Amino acid sequence: MPVQQDALWYKDAVIYQVHVRSFLDSSGDGNGDFRGLAQKLDYLQDLGINTLWLMPFFPSPLRDDGYDISDYRTVNPLYGTLDDFKNFLEVAHKRGIRVIIEMVLNHTSDQHPWFQESRSSRSNPRRDWYVWSDTDTKYKGTRIIFLDTELSNWAWDPVSKQYYWHRFFSHQPDLNWDNPAVREEMWDVMRFWLDMGVDAFRLDAVPYLVEREGTNCENLPETHGVIKDLRTRLDREYPGRMLLAEANQWPSDLRAYFSTGDEFHMAFHFPLMPRMFMGVKLEDRKPITEILKQTPEIPESCQWCLFLRNHDELTLEMVTDLERDYMYDEYAKEKAMRLNLGIRRRLAPLLDNDRRRIELMNGMLMSMPGTPIVYYGDEIGMGDNINLGDRNGVRTPMQWDGGWNGGFSTADPETLYSPLMLNPVYGFQAVNVQSQKRFDHSLLAWMKRLIKIRKSTAVFGRGSIQFLYPANHRVLAYVRKLGNETILVVNNLSSSAQAVELDLKPYKGNILVEMFGRNVFPRIGDLPYLLTMGQYQFYWFKIRRV
Amino acid sequence: MPDESILSDEFIRELINVGEVDILVGVPTHNDARTVGQVVQGVRAGLLKYFPRARSVIINADGGSRDGTRDLVCAASINDTVGSNLPALRTLHSISTQYEGPPASGTALHTILAAADLLQAKACAVISPESTSLEPEWVERLLRPVIREGVDLVLPVYRRHKFDGMLIRNLVYPVTRAVYGCTVQEPYPSDYAFSSNLGSNFLNQDLWTQEQGRHGTELWLTLAAIIGRYRIYQSFLGTRGRLESPPSDLVKAMRETAGLLFCSMDCYPAAWKDLREPLPAPCGGCQPAVSLEPMRVNRKRLHQMFTFGISQLEPVFSSILSTPTHEELKRLATLPENEFELPEPLWARTVYEFAAAYHRAVIGRDHVVQALVPLFRGRALTFLTENREAKESEIESNIDKVCQAFEAEKPYLLQVWDGGK
Amino acid sequence: MWSNFVGEMTRAADEILKGFARFLPRILEMLVIVLVGWVIAILLRAIARSILKIARFDKLSEHTGATQLLRGAALPSLTELTSRFVFWIAWLGFILLGISVLGVAGFDEHVATFIEFLPRLVVSLFILFFGLLAASFFSRAVLLGAVNANLSSPRIISWAVRTMIILFVVSMAFEELSISSRTVVVAFGMTFGALMFGLALAFGLGGKDLARRYLEKRFGSEPAEEQHDHEDELSPL
Repeated sequence: MPVQQDALWYKDAVIYQVHVRSFLDSSGDGNGDFRGLAQKLDYLQDLGINTLWLMPFFPSPLRDDGYDISDYRTVNPLYGTLDDFKNFLEVAHKRGIRVIIEMVLNHTSDQHPWFQESRSSRSNPRRDWYVWSDTDTKYKGTRIIFLDTELSNWAWDPVSKQYYWHRFFSHQPDLNWDNPAVREEMWDVMRFWLDMGVDAFRLDAVPYLVEREGTNCENLPETHGVIKDLRTRLDREYPGRMLLAEANQWPSDLRAYFSTGDEFHMAFHFPLMPRMFMGVKLEDRKPITEILKQTPEIPESCQWCLFLRNHDELTLEMVTDLERDYMYDEYAKEKAMRLNLGIRRRLAPLLDNDRRRIELMNGMLMSMPGTPIVYYGDEIGMGDNINLGDRNGVRTPMQWDGGWNGGFSTADPETLYSPLMLNPVYGFQAVNVQSQKRFDHSLLAWMKRLIKIRKSTAVFGRGSIQFLYPANHRVLAYVRKLGNETILVVNNLSSSAQAVELDLKPYKGNILVEMFGRNVFPRIGDLPYLLTMGQYQFYWFKIRRV
Repeated sequence: MPDESILSDEFIRELINVGEVDILVGVPTHNDARTVGQVVQGVRAGLLKYFPRARSVIINADGGSRDGTRDLVCAASINDTVGSNLPALRTLHSISTQYEGPPASGTALHTILAAADLLQAKACAVISPESTSLEPEWVERLLRPVIREGVDLVLPVYRRHKFDGMLIRNLVYPVTRAVYGCTVQEPYPSDYAFSSNLGSNFLNQDLWTQEQGRHGTELWLTLAAIIGRYRIYQSFLGTRGRLESPPSDLVKAMRETAGLLFCSMDCYPAAWKDLREPLPAPCGGCQPAVSLEPMRVNRKRLHQMFTFGISQLEPVFSSILSTPTHEELKRLATLPENEFELPEPLWARTVYEFAAAYHRAVIGRDHVVQALVPLFRGRALTFLTENREAKESEIESNIDKVCQAFEAEKPYLLQVWDGGK
Repeated sequence: MWSNFVGEMTRAADEILKGFARFLPRILEMLVIVLVGWVIAILLRAIARSILKIARFDKLSEHTGATQLLRGAALPSLTELTSRFVFWIAWLGFILLGISVLGVAGFDEHVATFIEFLPRLVVSLFILFFGLLAASFFSRAVLLGAVNANLSSPRIISWAVRTMIILFVVSMAFEELSISSRTVVVAFGMTFGALMFGLALAFGLGGKDLARRYLEKRFGSEPAEEQHDHEDELSPL
């Protein structure tokens, strides 16, 4: 089924985030590649997702899992060739799957030829492509993002004897977006991929593009100017393509990245995600409803991107100290689980491998206003390995079956880019696609059903949301509405059965039809609607007039 | 199984919404709009500061207020729509119910206990709506020993005016200490905390339809904890604010204190007759607890009511008291006010004879308790006189003397208890 | 003539003997009834004694002042007296039953009257007993209340209450026994009425201030000045 043309396709998307390196190795060299990914597009189509987000696959020294790019116009040989990518893109489109790729605008690898040239001398034409300074005192007050490894945002270059600016690792020097040449070059890079057929870009680390003295160097008007410019060009030359912002900011600061619909199409709702975990642990909807109440309205054409986990640590930057301490104590009891003001664990281990909680979290993900993202492996409940450095514990090979290397690669296990999960709970022999395909009650089967129901209606992606505030604070309930269609979502955040009375008077006379089993529930009357719910249970009801 | 019938359907519905909690703070009220708002805000601040992760609820058991008391308590709730400016991790329900029957602290406590039982609260505190000097730290000092150290009952220690609570200092405290072997300075507390274990046990006792289930129940709780050998702890809270118009119904106070004490001695003789190890009740953070501001006291009236009582109640006293005690009291009644003194040993023997008379029901038991009131006025006068110029340490030592007198006379109690002379 | 005399004497003696022989079984019957009645009365006395002891009747009657009275008169306890009363009533009943067996003319009527009278006697004794109990209780309650409220002349008030209750109870008892009931009731009514009138005058004239303060306190919207109750700031608790 080829990709449908729809300017707002991203509102109906169900995104699957994957690193090509982690998915399937077709060449036997221990690294996943595009040919392998192409082979597994059937699986992804069967799962029900319609959009793939690929993590960086560009040539890179791989010191930050590919976010340190050394060549923007080709594919890392580890993952195949540019032709392999083109072939994969074509096959994906044929299956109705759009593709989002990374575009790291803020910085490059220090191995990128641009930086090599820039640092070679102070008079090099590309000198000005990066941010240099004689001292490390400029832009004081700017926070350090990778707290666990970096002590400063400036690094000393012994070659050109100056400091260069880097908001991330010191081997990732920031590009100088005040230089028009940089802007033109990066637009050219984007065009390169757009011409190939890529549907969207996830622009990494956008808040940090521009620096100014006396500010915190984040979310500056000049940065927004850059985005507006890129968006204008995109709309003009490539209508229907999409820009997704990666900006770990408060909702009110994020709002600016939508502007009046002339900047990003989508942005990740970072602050919501830890609060979902908090809500389930506290058994209280307050953290969730509070952050959503603080979330501003966005333009009609724009969309939030929601996620539970991703390739990074579960960030706790956008919570209070009280909340952070609580999250650490509840979700990262071992210090090794904590990294950079976050928790580097996968979904299933975070939820104690509790199937009900996993379902509940995914249910909320799929029913809240926004486009959901499923991180690869979470659909089968993969585990993590915190003993691997940095965030590599959540980037282990996909587990396809219980055989050699979990079906990921035919290479010797020692040559794999990362060790496989081996323990009896999360190891590839216990958790894999093949075994879960055999049973209707597996997590994989359930996820497929969930995604199917999600896609069966446009309400979840495009509809409004109105919270009900039942007196039972353990129940999170809201109504999604689009046109004539209304869906009631009720989530029990508690580990014990709950009774809840919902004020559904505006819908009096309607009946409820539960969407999974399609069974009819009693008609709504004058009295509060009583529901009893099992632990971590959720309902999706269509509110229908008969 | 708790008696859920004391909880209305509406309240049970609210409790369902609250769900299981770790901490329950009960606030019994009746027309306390003047002070309850401030108290509940203080409780809330304490919960947020010291127990931010705990699932908590504030429950108001009200006796039929008409001044908006209940609304003030409910305003302390924190949820999605209210109190979002506060640093609260969780929802905090603050709910109110009106119990049936006339206003009574015991009925309020019964309601609170029933709610705590339904919500499976691990620790409960009860805070008086008149505790205007409450600070958030009070919540921590009351609840921490229960939650973290497994204590069953936490009683308060206040810094009080030297002449405040004379009935407690001259009768309840000495009797509790001497008879039951437990030194608790405030056995009739208005702010206290207890464990779920003690709470359930107390709830299931058969006292709620009797007088001790309506008035003086807090004292009964303390006695139940002592008799049941529960772990008791005392926490120094701070200054206890004085009411603008303190209650002066001494007969009612006597019923709730002496009446209850005598009743418990009658119901549980084995708990105090048998030789037992004293029950420890360590005190955390205790400091000198007496303040010395001047206070208006009518000594003449106390003296007059004592002598009046002695003369008018002679037939009653002759049924209750032994002849030597009665004669001695009659002699004291002839003394002028400036020479009057009801010494501690005599007072102790008098109280014990009353206790024995109560036990044997020589006359109606309530009449025995009422008859003690004029004699207590004599004791109060003596206490006021002795401590008029006394400093903090002297007063503490004088109170201790009273307790020691009671302890010394305990063999006499055993002797007269069943009718011996 | 002598033989006639002897013959008449013999005939008379014979008649007497015959009459006696006719009467003797009845006497024997009566004696048996009385004897059996005596045994039953003893049993009833023992049962009554046990019941009263279990019910702590002596203790209860202490409150009426009866125990003290009896002790003063060197009489046995009320339990003992009551048990003996039960014995005598029971045995008397059997004696009367025995006598009725003799067939004495007109006697049955008196027996019936007596048996009819018995329950009323018991009821009136009950009324008296509990009435005395109530009198003692309420008079003491009033005495204590008046003393603790610092009212003047509490003993007089207490005595008045006791007297009123006793009068009331006695008149009820007499009415129950139907002994000059009308006279007693009227006398009680007059006494009670006079007493009430006197009290009304006394309170109305002399206690109007107290009444005013009481009404203000009970029903007023603002607290009345409670002067002598709050002349100090002491809080007992």
